[in-house]
Amino acid sequence: MEWAWLIPIFSFAAAPLIVLFGKFLPGKGSWLSILAIGGGFVMFWVVLNSWLAANAATSGCFTSENTGMLTCDYERSWFNAGLVGEIGSVSLHWGILVDPLTIAMLGLVTFVALMVQIYSLAYMHGDPRFGWYFAVHSLFAAAMLTLVLADNFLLLYVAWELVGICSYLLIGFWHERPQAREAAKKAFIVTRIGDVGLLIGILLIWRDVGSFSMLDAFEAVRTGAMSEGVTTAAALLLFLGAMGKSAQVPFHVWLPDAMEGPTPVSALIHAATMVVAGVFLVARVFPLFEAYDADPLIVVAIVGLVTALGAATIALVATDLKRILAYSTISHLGLMMLSLGAFGYTAAIFHLMAHGFSKALLFLGAGSVLHSTEFQETGEMGGLRKVMPLTAIVFSIGALSLGGIPILAGFWSKDEILVAVADHRNVTFIVLTLFTALLSALYMARAMFLVFYGPLKDQNNQVHDAPAAMAVPMAILGVLALGFGLISFNWPGSYAGIGTFVFFEHAEAFHFEIWIGVLSIVMSVAAFYVAHLIYVRKSISLDSVRARNAGILKVIENKYYFDEVYQWTIDRLVLVFSRFIAYFDRAIINDIMVNGPADVTRKFGIALRVHVTGHVYSYTLAMALGSIGLGIFVWLRVV
Amino acid sequence: MIDLVWFQLLSAVLFVIGLYGVMARRSAVLIIMSIELMLNAVNINLIAAASHMEGVGRFSNFDGQLIAIFIITVAAAEVGLALAIILRMFRNRSTVNVDEINLMKW
Repeated sequence: MEWAWLIPIFSFAAAPLIVLFGKFLPGKGSWLSILAIGGGFVMFWVVLNSWLAANAATSGCFTSENTGMLTCDYERSWFNAGLVGEIGSVSLHWGILVDPLTIAMLGLVTFVALMVQIYSLAYMHGDPRFGWYFAVHSLFAAAMLTLVLADNFLLLYVAWELVGICSYLLIGFWHERPQAREAAKKAFIVTRIGDVGLLIGILLIWRDVGSFSMLDAFEAVRTGAMSEGVTTAAALLLFLGAMGKSAQVPFHVWLPDAMEGPTPVSALIHAATMVVAGVFLVARVFPLFEAYDADPLIVVAIVGLVTALGAATIALVATDLKRILAYSTISHLGLMMLSLGAFGYTAAIFHLMAHGFSKALLFLGAGSVLHSTEFQETGEMGGLRKVMPLTAIVFSIGALSLGGIPILAGFWSKDEILVAVADHRNVTFIVLTLFTALLSALYMARAMFLVFYGPLKDQNNQVHDAPAAMAVPMAILGVLALGFGLISFNWPGSYAGIGTFVFFEHAEAFHFEIWIGVLSIVMSVAAFYVAHLIYVRKSISLDSVRARNAGILKVIENKYYFDEVYQWTIDRLVLVFSRFIAYFDRAIINDIMVNGPADVTRKFGIALRVHVTGHVYSYTLAMALGSIGLGIFVWLRVV
Repeated sequence: MIDLVWFQLLSAVLFVIGLYGVMARRSAVLIIMSIELMLNAVNINLIAAASHMEGVGRFSNFDGQLIAIFIITVAAAEVGLALAIILRMFRNRSTVNVDEINLMKW
């Protein structure tokens, strides 16, 4: 287990190798990247097995006070600032923390990254920057794995920024297109705003705890060394970082634009891994949120609910296939946050994984469609199941899974969230969450029917199904999306369900409340049926509904005017202020403070140079007069 | 013996003529000649003073002569150097007019 750090190291090593030697290698070094992440996936199983075999006596391991689960921490000294042992000296470590949460994330990240990279072999084939794509992919995987393994806030922050820059590079991968450049900048800047909160939160914890180690921070919270005010403030500031990364309202605006990147990138980074880093962060530092009456969790729950509901409504009216999926991702990230905010720790992580597999599958399916039709608008598609049956099947599995149809992965995890919300939050929350679940089923059904069902358009007659390198990862992910829910149950033998593996405070068996379960099944099935009537049979027309709610529809279609408000703020406030600062810099700093002394010196010189005439006689005269004057002076003194 | 004051008067006249030459002449060669005139005015002064002041106080005849010879030596060296500079100046600028030699001026 102490070798778990090898998992990111493989990919960290692959990235520069591909950049430096990629062009001399067959396949531009793409296989290096796949080999590295494959090695990481193998290492994940090794780590999982050794964790299962370990006990509290194993070196580096102990039973966590928070979860009662075996937690292993391996750290090395990084560097010391100041003299060791003296007051004011700082000793920094880096290390890895292996606990069930980490292991679950390791499995998700290595597996999805492996699938997406294999898929990319075919998807990105022939791209002029094929090698660079895989290099950045490797770097991203390495950073993400470091992020989930980090045992201290400093290392986490480094990895956090590293995934941010990889996301920037991959969104702007086709940087010849201006929209891609703009989207990349937007994603980076918007998440950076949240990251400032994260950094302040980390420093706040460091001030009180005197260490960046997460375990020290949890210990300080438990013993009361960190006061209630500081803990709450730190938790909320960390949550700010999580909101930026996980695209929570009001920081969600970057994620739909991030769809400018290649589709496999959207599948890996903007659906399954990087965007869930925020959820992971909240789960990782849950003791901070949960200490002292758990006040920050109310904020988490409200932000999650608003995000989930708002994004779901936009997903319902969006027409661009990738944007539908993007808003669906935002909505589901909101659900995960809501679940954490409702003490549904297990449910959130379970949904994170189920959603990760399903949404990666959906994006890969969408990528397959875009790859062969070259369209992104759902209006240009329709009936594609006749020409690309495999893609249609896997996409439908993903859609049904996220739509919450029973026995698929998404159903079980969503139900867990509903139960958690029903148990811990009031009736408004559960009603709105159920409504979100209904919307979620509706927009997934809409996307699925619009793209794959109904009549086939003539322009798509020549479309072909995905090649093998794309089909195989999709099929594997399809099987997972289908069967992943099974890990939630108590199985004969030693495995007792995910609730006994990833949990906080006390293990829970999978619980299934009849009324919620029945309600959600009825809603999901009804949603799919209604969507079928609307989009395939066309026996229900939406025109009258649209006409009656034209006002609301306009607001939703304009994404609640978030982008417009931000643009207005930037144009009218930020840029005006910036111009003032620029003027101040030019007029005061530059003209007066810097050029001022130079000007004075020059003018003084001009005034002084008059006496340097360049005529020998004037110098001689001055010399003679000076000598005479000096002589008279001395003579007067002597006499 | 002629009174010392006549020598001093001659010396002063020569010196002022030299000074005037340095200030009024534009040709570098003539300026050099004027400087020679000033130097020799000083020499006359020194020699005359030396022959008149022998035995007065701690002065000796020898002091004034020594300094005069020293000045002649230095003047010879100075003229050699100055004429070399003027020669180069003429080669480069085709003039020895000091008013036109103003490259170093602002």
